[in-house]
Amino acid sequence: MGEEAPRIGVFICHCGINIGGVVKVPEVVKYARTLPNVAYSEDNIYTCSEAGLDSIKEAIKKYNLNRVVVASCTPRTHEPLFRSACREAGLNQYLFEMANIREQCSWVHAHQPEKATKKAKDIVRMAVARATWLMPQEEPELDIKDTSLVIGGGIAGMTAALTLANQGFKVYLVEKEAELGGNLRRLHKLYPTMQDTSEILMPTIEAVTMNKNVETLVSTVVSDVHGYVGNFKVTLSNNGGKRDVEVGTIIVACGAMNYTPPKGLYQYGEYPNIVTQLELDELLRNGKIKKPPERVVMIQCVGARKGEIRALDLAGFPKSDTARLLAKILKAKKEEGWPYCSKICCMNAIKNAILIKERFPQTDVIILYGDIRVYKEYEDFYSTARENQVKFVKHIEEVTPEITQGPEGKLIVEAYDALVGREMKLPCDWVVLSTPLIPRKEEVLLARMLKVPISQDGFLMEAHLKLRPVDTQMDGIFLAGAASGPKDVPESIVSAKAAAARASTLMANKKMRTEALTSVVDEKECIGCGLCEDICSYGAHYLEEGKSHTIAALCRGCGACAAECPRRAITMQHYTDEQILAQVKAALMEEI
Amino acid sequence: MEETEFDPVILAFCCNWCSYAGADLAGTSRFEYPTNVRIIRVMCSGRIEPTFVLEAFKDGADGVLITGCHPGDCHYVQGNYMMERRFAFIKEALKHLGIEPERLRLEWISAGEGEKFAALIRDTTQRIKELGPNPLTKTDAAIEAFKAQRLRWVIGIQQAGLKVDEQRYKAVSLKIMKDEIERQMIIVEIKEKGPQTIKELAEATKISPKEVLRHIIALKKIGVVSEAGEKEDAYLYKVS
Repeated sequence: MGEEAPRIGVFICHCGINIGGVVKVPEVVKYARTLPNVAYSEDNIYTCSEAGLDSIKEAIKKYNLNRVVVASCTPRTHEPLFRSACREAGLNQYLFEMANIREQCSWVHAHQPEKATKKAKDIVRMAVARATWLMPQEEPELDIKDTSLVIGGGIAGMTAALTLANQGFKVYLVEKEAELGGNLRRLHKLYPTMQDTSEILMPTIEAVTMNKNVETLVSTVVSDVHGYVGNFKVTLSNNGGKRDVEVGTIIVACGAMNYTPPKGLYQYGEYPNIVTQLELDELLRNGKIKKPPERVVMIQCVGARKGEIRALDLAGFPKSDTARLLAKILKAKKEEGWPYCSKICCMNAIKNAILIKERFPQTDVIILYGDIRVYKEYEDFYSTARENQVKFVKHIEEVTPEITQGPEGKLIVEAYDALVGREMKLPCDWVVLSTPLIPRKEEVLLARMLKVPISQDGFLMEAHLKLRPVDTQMDGIFLAGAASGPKDVPESIVSAKAAAARASTLMANKKMRTEALTSVVDEKECIGCGLCEDICSYGAHYLEEGKSHTIAALCRGCGACAAECPRRAITMQHYTDEQILAQVKAALMEEI
Repeated sequence: MEETEFDPVILAFCCNWCSYAGADLAGTSRFEYPTNVRIIRVMCSGRIEPTFVLEAFKDGADGVLITGCHPGDCHYVQGNYMMERRFAFIKEALKHLGIEPERLRLEWISAGEGEKFAALIRDTTQRIKELGPNPLTKTDAAIEAFKAQRLRWVIGIQQAGLKVDEQRYKAVSLKIMKDEIERQMIIVEIKEKGPQTIKELAEATKISPKEVLRHIIALKKIGVVSEAGEKEDAYLYKVS
């Protein structure tokens, strides 16, 4: 409790007839006045209207209120509004509490007005009980450095670096290989425009090299990351040499890699003319296929969409153990394949099929598929392939096609035609396996250093798949390109620009307010066991001189540490034991 | 007729990001459900301590619902998993206390599952009505046990990802929980009625004298209880 005795003002909203049509609001107002520590209560037609908000502000001053409870709708939508009203009246906004009597009362009990009114009273009583224990909180302000680190010099990383550099931010672009370019260096042409990759790659590399705001560091890897949003300290290693840089934001564009089947899967590695699509790309680019083949058979979804998609038990893997998690995923996927659709392979196969047809019109190209997934404008691309006599044959995916040596150096593919329901034997000169994009092993190290979780598929995980697709759970760290899952060139560029925009929003503001709801360690009680350090998903706890400390900028306020601390030495501010138990008690109290 | 008049009170802990939003969606969608539930919002189900649940039962809750994000969906990465592991301990503790474990439920509700939330409240209310009112057995000892360092450690090491054999961990940890609850029962008993002999404590707590002796030895060792004279050729024990 604050220094002065709580004086709570309760404002009960009719929400037109949304609440007032079911709950007897005047009765609740009268009831609220009887509750301990309530100094004032009133009802409003719409508390969220200007008149309603003014009424709160006036009452705070007139009745010297030091806590405010609004009983209306859900705090998920309206808490910020009422908090700002409190702030404007000079009351710390954390001394505000909401009672949800619309979504969780009147709207779900429309036909039980008596019981709904009783429940509304209970909800108000619980909110008042909690408000009694509320404490003012401050949101600390952080300085944000206006420099950025981009990890990965592929098309996504370069695009992100250029976007930021063109806005005037200093960018360190780190690439582990000796040259910029990433996966595109190995590709020949790009679907669906059939452009040479160099047409896109070369100008981008040049723009990066010419830009004075971008410092490109090749043959360099990130070896350590410390700090938090706005103030990351990153150690970069280059052939044993080390260098520290300080940046405000980090964009991870470490990309993905093409899956190479283990030796023996689809007889890969046993015959020289069984290749992956990526290897075919290189063969085509270098003109290595000289003799026109009679037939080329492509097999889709090799090592993709395989195995049951099961939720891996992430629970057994606290943050310090991401390595073990990825190792487990990699091991499980090695034989059975990856569960997801890699989304680029269909178009890639069609592209290479068309390229073969262009070069060798007489060659029979057969694509064995389970499902063809051509989205958006790629449907036209698929039609083009069909017009060019590329044959699409649906086979029974559960039966892995067998490839054997036939006469005259030919291969024979044995598969089951899904439409006719019969075995087919296809003599051919080349077998091409369409394999998915999979996470890089380096990702695990990065994930661990950056404290960004990895998804079930092994990619770096976005903060929210739909709402925050380039953010990570760590403030100031963003994802670009295939680091978060298979993407083609346009998608990589879109996500890179999005990540750059998110990073520049932070850096342009130069300052940000962080979470006020953080955990606090009572040093007297703490015995330095380190459990909080182990369980925190954000690395917000660290041990120093035998005591745990919270890094406020990293803490997200989940409160798990408070619930777990063996010594009960950690308090989760704004969700303290007292506050929650006050609500429990109030909920179960007989109406007073 | 009497059963139909019993109007249970069910306490529901909802996490801000998923299940509380699911409850909101039930409202926006106007899915009706019984009025028996009282919702307490926390940021994450990982914040919910066993003591909150036991305090609720102590104060007369007929049922307690813990809800959170679906596995893998936790806004805070793994708070719901932590809750799930704690949940197993609370369930077991309820059995020791003579409270039907069915009174406590853990369910995952996403922000999009308004209908599921409404159905859950309907179903839970029905189930609790069938169970009847909270038996109001004493939960103080268990609350103290869950506040005590030893039991919290046992739950905590699992969260920290220590590599232990699961079967063995389960057996040992539940045994430790039982011990801690029984020891707290003994302490509560002595605090309430003054120094007692092992025989008296066994009768009062319904723990076998052999076990009470084992607990007394353990509590003596850490200085929590000590001898306080004799009665009928047996030692009396007090809380030091």
